[in-house]
Amino acid sequence: MLRFVGKRLALLPLVMLGVTVLLFALLQFLTPEMRAALYVKDPRQLAALEAIIQKHHLRDPLPIQYWSWLKQVLVGDLGYSETAKMPVADAIRAFFPATLELTFAAFFPILFIGVWLGTKSAVHKDKFVDHFSRFVAITGYSLPSFVLGLLLLMIFYGKMKMFAPGRYSLDVDLLVHSDEFRHVTGLLLVDSVLNWKWSVFWDVAKHLVLPSATLVYISMALLLRITRSSMLEELGKDYVRTARAKGLSERAVINKHARANALIPVVTLSSLLFVGLLGGVVITETVFDYPGIGRWGVNAAQQLDIPGVLGSALLSSLLFVVANMLADVAYALVDPRIRVQ
Amino acid sequence: MNSTLRNVWKKLKKKPMSLLGCAIIGGYTLVAGLAPVLARPAPNTRDVYLIPQDGYSPDPVRPSKEHWFGTTEQQYDLFYGMVWGTRTAFKVALSVVLTSLLIGILIGGLAGFYGGWVDETLMRFTDVVLAFPDLVLSVVIVAVLQPGLYKVMAAVVLVSWPSYARLLRGDVLSIKEREFVLAARALGASDSRILLRHILPNCIYPLLVVASLSMGRIVITAAALSFLGLGAPVGYADWGQLISLSRNWILGSSGNPFEFWHTVFIPGTAIFLFVLGWNLLGDAFRDILDPRQK
Amino acid sequence: MIRAFPALLALCLFTAPASAARSKNPDTLTRLGLSDADSLDPAWSYDTFSHEVIANVYDYLFMFEGGSVEKLIPLAAAKVPSRANGLISADGKTYTIPIRAGMVFHDGTPVTAEDVRYSILRFMLFDRDAGPSSLLLQPLVDRDSTRDSTGKIDPKVFADAAKAVQVDGDKVVLRLPKPFAPMLTVLASWAPVVSRKWVAEKGGWDGAEATWQKFNNPSKTSSPLHEAVMGTGPFKLERWDRNNKQIVLVRNDRYWRTPAKLKRVVIKAVSEFGTRKLMLQAGDADTITADRPVFSQLQNVPGVELIDDQQMLDMNPVAFFTFKIKETGNPYIGSGKLDGEGVPPDFFSDLDLRRAFAYSFDYKGFIKDVMRGKGTQATGCIPNTLPGHNPKQATYSLDLKKAEEHFRKARGGEVWEKGFRFTLSYNTGNVARETLCQILKRQVESINPKFKIDVRPLEWPTFLDAYKGSKLPVFIIGWNADFPDAHTFVFPMLHSRGDYPFTQRFKDERIDKLIDQALDETDLAKRKDLYAKVQALEYELVPHLVILDTVRFRTQRDWVKGWYHNPIFPDAPYGAYYYPIWKE
Repeated sequence: MLRFVGKRLALLPLVMLGVTVLLFALLQFLTPEMRAALYVKDPRQLAALEAIIQKHHLRDPLPIQYWSWLKQVLVGDLGYSETAKMPVADAIRAFFPATLELTFAAFFPILFIGVWLGTKSAVHKDKFVDHFSRFVAITGYSLPSFVLGLLLLMIFYGKMKMFAPGRYSLDVDLLVHSDEFRHVTGLLLVDSVLNWKWSVFWDVAKHLVLPSATLVYISMALLLRITRSSMLEELGKDYVRTARAKGLSERAVINKHARANALIPVVTLSSLLFVGLLGGVVITETVFDYPGIGRWGVNAAQQLDIPGVLGSALLSSLLFVVANMLADVAYALVDPRIRVQ
Repeated sequence: MNSTLRNVWKKLKKKPMSLLGCAIIGGYTLVAGLAPVLARPAPNTRDVYLIPQDGYSPDPVRPSKEHWFGTTEQQYDLFYGMVWGTRTAFKVALSVVLTSLLIGILIGGLAGFYGGWVDETLMRFTDVVLAFPDLVLSVVIVAVLQPGLYKVMAAVVLVSWPSYARLLRGDVLSIKEREFVLAARALGASDSRILLRHILPNCIYPLLVVASLSMGRIVITAAALSFLGLGAPVGYADWGQLISLSRNWILGSSGNPFEFWHTVFIPGTAIFLFVLGWNLLGDAFRDILDPRQK
Repeated sequence: MIRAFPALLALCLFTAPASAARSKNPDTLTRLGLSDADSLDPAWSYDTFSHEVIANVYDYLFMFEGGSVEKLIPLAAAKVPSRANGLISADGKTYTIPIRAGMVFHDGTPVTAEDVRYSILRFMLFDRDAGPSSLLLQPLVDRDSTRDSTGKIDPKVFADAAKAVQVDGDKVVLRLPKPFAPMLTVLASWAPVVSRKWVAEKGGWDGAEATWQKFNNPSKTSSPLHEAVMGTGPFKLERWDRNNKQIVLVRNDRYWRTPAKLKRVVIKAVSEFGTRKLMLQAGDADTITADRPVFSQLQNVPGVELIDDQQMLDMNPVAFFTFKIKETGNPYIGSGKLDGEGVPPDFFSDLDLRRAFAYSFDYKGFIKDVMRGKGTQATGCIPNTLPGHNPKQATYSLDLKKAEEHFRKARGGEVWEKGFRFTLSYNTGNVARETLCQILKRQVESINPKFKIDVRPLEWPTFLDAYKGSKLPVFIIGWNADFPDAHTFVFPMLHSRGDYPFTQRFKDERIDKLIDQALDETDLAKRKDLYAKVQALEYELVPHLVILDTVRFRTQRDWVKGWYHNPIFPDAPYGAYYYPIWKE
């Protein structure tokens, strides 16, 4: 087990190096003038285009540019992101907790609803609940998040005037940034409780409703399907029949026996689901104007903010590799057959 | 072959959802095919995919006799855009899936078949590509190539092939140890013959199932890129782009929050149904073709 | 798991309080803009979003009175120099500026003439690439940069600058190498008073000759003034929250005038128009940025006031013809020959052709459709808000007959016979520029079926690349004023050394001479005369097409009082000078 984890960890820097090399290789498609666009925004600055190119060494061969970037990173300097208007490290510190909060807000509902509906539809196969949950799954899977997001905004924000976009409203913003509010985790839902500020908690929770509902609806299908099929498989097994024969109530059979085993693939899937959500928030954050890592990454890419892109890519590849590793470990821990091997 | 097809059809018939999927995709195919009849392009136009504009006023206009689906901001005719956008959607979905399938087969096949350092190199490269959330990577790619419909297609191909490659590699690994392959090898068949005649035909079906299932996801990714303003230029018949034109109008006007509902609802429904159709078809294919399901 | 539902349901049903009819914070003004500031260092930033903040936390030497762009009132200066009061020398080269007594910085230290001199020197010598320093380097030391073309610092600059800016008791004396008519208007928008002591203490430049090169062209974040403020303005910086793209200003109670009426000003960037609108409706925002296309969505919103017809200090969009297009690797000129499938590199050097294009544009239709009927056709590149603008100058109008005449004459009839094809490009995200292209295309193609124009949007990076290489046959862009003077328009748009003509390869000796002459001329009437001549030549030669003088509208809650428009305010009419504003 330890060796396995060790091997994965050893591979991590390699993957991250690969990620950055890939990104720099892509830069080959850009002329220095195009990359200078990040610094020359106003027609009045056009005359200084060449000076900007010189200053940022944009005409150097790419391997040299890569090397100087890498040297900086190795001493802990990720550079400055023009799109976030702050150093990359600060940007990650600022945006990552927000994204994490949104991801959690979607992850747990997905888990609960997915498992609950999945079990229900397996138990009542081909009944209304089953059809309903499959309908939910396939429509969710087919709905682009920006369409759903815009429709939700149109109804709940435009028409009903509730659930504004953003992370919190202005007065809460002032409160959160006043001296009396201590920042502990960066997750405002947690910090607000620690500070005993329920107004902040409610405001932040309210702002999470629409984006997380979007994520839940769209990302639930996979989990629902897996739970259903794995539950169906377990329900057909001998031990379930034995339990039923012993006269256990149907409820106990399902909840205690079948579901416990059916959840094994769900557990391993969930860490992948979590990473998938972290990557999937890009559009949701853009639609709901939510200040997270995805929106920043997209902005950085659109404006060719290379340090920003590299920084957010490093973070997401790190998360991806770690989560994959956790999935494998969890799988080994949960499934006794693998542990024996 | 004919009997297999008939078999497939028999199984399809039993599932109303699959039939629905067929009907939806069939309907879209019809629309795409009849586009020049349904929405006649202006006689002197140089690119039929450019949506005609009825004036330049910024306010969208609601559906009317003249514009069946209304107009978007700057008076692009929504009906025309939807009809020709169907062609764009097919173009994107089919070419992206086929190309990424080809790349996936090539890389996965080589890695699985040869093993060793070939496998190691190709798979580590696949890992690197997979380590990005696919939307982020495709945004980076399009931003670097500079926006455009074909750039979007290229970007989606570049982020979609790794999952095919991985899947195929696994199957090739297991099949290449089977007896009939070993026998062919003993008989002195060449590498390419073994790979093409013996191994690939035996592991292509799962891949096709996955490909048909990913059709919908690819359409969504491409539309999302268009929505972010990285796709086709303004005025090009493309659903994602038409939705992004609605962003300033979702709140409607004062006193009438749904005044511009058509700008979101119509292109949104079109994308949704298209993706739904492919997903239903993909489900059906899986049930019919995937031997492991039985 | 079933138990989770009621909680979720409760969350979903949790409704927002009904929108307030009265302002929520009577002494806080909240303004929602498009983008946040770049840097608060006055010597670094060149964007309107930063300058909106800078204009409220610092004092310039002068400011414009009310909405005027001509009449100055003293701010950090005690008096506005003029020939009449003897503070401008007869030859127009020496300006004596007495400094206001009794002003203190935000930290309480008094302002001296030395601080003013330091502020001007620092503004010039900071000189970051693509920064605003040349605005003062040009008039005061007669050069564009502190560095040569290879990027090497010229050490002599300091001595020249120190000679040009001197302290005499409580006065600062500027000695210009040659007369520069708009000198005072430049100082009303650039180089506000910063505290020398504070900057030096925080590790910035101390004002000494020995150290200035170290602080020349620095990185953005290295300046102590990048995210902190030490000025004398009516507001202080309370907080710059980059995560949420917002800046909070708080009233300076030690201001040398009566303190401002507002206690706080919150300037926040919200990119989505829908969000801005809803926050305005709910009373969470007091004023928002909203441009012409969304005008209809803001009409008749209860409690919201639209103040229309605000004249601007910019010229946008403008279509520039490139006289000598670069041929190699150029995808925008088709075959590169006059064979119906392309254009030769010198295509637009033909005067008839340019005139034909000028007659092919529907100026009135553009204003009616894109601008909802607001704005007036431009008579030249000097906006109608500026002295020097000639309202009587003749203009082109849509006249397809005349256009055809000129097309037939162009290049001895060859153009008419063979036709042409080229790409008309604009940078994306700009509806006005996009529509300009489409209207022009439609009209020109209707004249002769052999005329073909492809309209193509370019992302800003691609645009820059093509622009720099003079690859675009026609390019659409705009220009904003650095300071309210005709010179900042005629020079970059018509002088052969200006940015656009340089790229166009357009040069006309007469125009160059007139512009140079007008810059040295301090007599207003004579200057106007010279600029009238420039505009006549502009009309005659058509190096570019100007379309309209734009007017914008301001959107604010009706409880906001005391606002007035001056087009020179950064990001006006959305941004404002907040000192006179209050909420009822």
